[in-house]
Amino acid sequence: MTVLDGTLLDPAAFAAALDACHEQAAPGGLVASGSRWALASAARAGDGVPVPGGPPELVALRCAAPAGERELAVFAEQLLRLHRQALRTVLDAAVARLDRRLSEGTTLLNRQLVRGAVADTALALAESADLLGLPAGTPWRRWRIHRDLTAAGRTALKLHGAAGFEAAGPGRLLYLTELLGNTYLHPQPHGSEAQDD
Amino acid sequence: MTEGLSPRIEALRAHVREAAVELRTIGPEIDRDPTAIDRWLHLPAVDIMRGCTVPTEYLDRPLRIGGDTYDIRSCLEHVVTIEELSYGDAGFMLACPGPLMSGATIDALADDKQRHAYYQRMAGPEPTWTFFGLTEPAKGSAATELETALVPDGDGFRLTGGKRYVGNAAFAQLGVVFCRRAPGPLGIEAVLLDTDTPGFHAELVETVGLRGARISAIRFEDVRVERTQILGYQTLKPSRRGLVGAIRTLQRFRPVLAGTALGLSRAVLDHVHRQRPGLAGTARLRLAEAQDRLAAARARNYRVAQAIDAGQVRLDHVAGVKTRAAELAEYCTLVAADLLGPAALLEDPLLNRLYRDARAFEFMEGTGHIQRLAVFQGVLKGTFLD
Repeated sequence: MTVLDGTLLDPAAFAAALDACHEQAAPGGLVASGSRWALASAARAGDGVPVPGGPPELVALRCAAPAGERELAVFAEQLLRLHRQALRTVLDAAVARLDRRLSEGTTLLNRQLVRGAVADTALALAESADLLGLPAGTPWRRWRIHRDLTAAGRTALKLHGAAGFEAAGPGRLLYLTELLGNTYLHPQPHGSEAQDD
Repeated sequence: MTEGLSPRIEALRAHVREAAVELRTIGPEIDRDPTAIDRWLHLPAVDIMRGCTVPTEYLDRPLRIGGDTYDIRSCLEHVVTIEELSYGDAGFMLACPGPLMSGATIDALADDKQRHAYYQRMAGPEPTWTFFGLTEPAKGSAATELETALVPDGDGFRLTGGKRYVGNAAFAQLGVVFCRRAPGPLGIEAVLLDTDTPGFHAELVETVGLRGARISAIRFEDVRVERTQILGYQTLKPSRRGLVGAIRTLQRFRPVLAGTALGLSRAVLDHVHRQRPGLAGTARLRLAEAQDRLAAARARNYRVAQAIDAGQVRLDHVAGVKTRAAELAEYCTLVAADLLGPAALLEDPLLNRLYRDARAFEFMEGTGHIQRLAVFQGVLKGTFLD
């Protein structure tokens, strides 16, 4: 647990958490993806363009060259941990919300479909932690973890109903983690034709 | 041509498809600024949406294609129309003036005088935006539990409470509000409300995508409601008013929403095909799989719409197509983001917009959890898998 847990729904806190990923991999610098994009807070990036669908606190900067392999690997691991934190935040918020919402004399958390979705999300979170704990991480493994977390995130978002689609809410938080994974973790070389996944 | 659809429907599809072509370039503008629709009200696509489901006797220039006239009140015609416009841009389509869901409630509940006044207004020279106010902040779209209160006040009523996630409400001139006059399901009423009535407040809710839907929050502060504004108050028993209108509207519109999701799905898969014509191996198979699922979902949606036109409204089938289409839109956009490669969500504006838009369909007109309960009932009754 970090001090940011529970506050990632705040765009400034999310941008700070992303900056911390850069700091772990490249102290004082920015990690550019294989496609030469770096996403960070406007303060850290200094310049850049708005992230489509993102908050003003985040920018995307086109860099001269991708980061080195080691830096990218460290950053990717940190990014996946941030994705896990974000998903945990979204799940916890859903549980708290549904425990307060009453329907037909009981809380929505008592519905079997709801409990199943909570459990499925938790199972994916637990498995992703186990996968991240394996030695010798590879780009393909990290990509699979990202995809698993994305799928689990979609499950968790459904627990929020329409609130999960509000910009100031869990929907945008998980959208940003998906966009970051697409930018940094996609294992295919940038600009090449996809053949296998 | 889609197998099994009549030449009349295919002519409508071709006409709408042509009108939808230019929406693709306007979509980004609507995404940035949903009020930008005001600059595009002269487009044929807007004319289609304004006249969609308005009876032809109210229109000076009803839609004519070849020798046929269309009011698009058939569910199948409506589905095909919305699917094609959504292929162009779903956000643009939803930002358009016109009856949309409120018209279905009018058809279900209004007396002749109410219906006439409503459609005269919809057919008038000025564009009129409408809303369908059912969902509440604390209760979602559980119609039987809604809390917005209609309290007697002299010879009329006062409306108090709030709605959330209501398309176009912050920009509409009128809309339908579901509210509670008395406890229990028979105490629900549907009120046709002008948004310039004192005490009506609506504001835009910022969303992840589909910003053209202009999803809004409404607050009612002692809004005066006359008896004549309660739909069917003079002609229908309480058991045939209010809740019945909400249910019929949702039943009628779920295949239409499925058409929106399927139009978007087709748009994103076609985009992948154009951008990556040389896909090979597993990637090519993934695209083919998504295209197969889309073709199957479209065919099923047409069958459900045709059944509705024939008077056979099957709740489980309607719920099934809505939830599968919503899931398919998410699935297709996720597949597209994978196949278009690293940073595609940053670099490809169309993909990015469709990717964000696709997430709206899950909660619109009832969540997947609610639809699954209807499918489950259909399995128990032996109607879903027949």
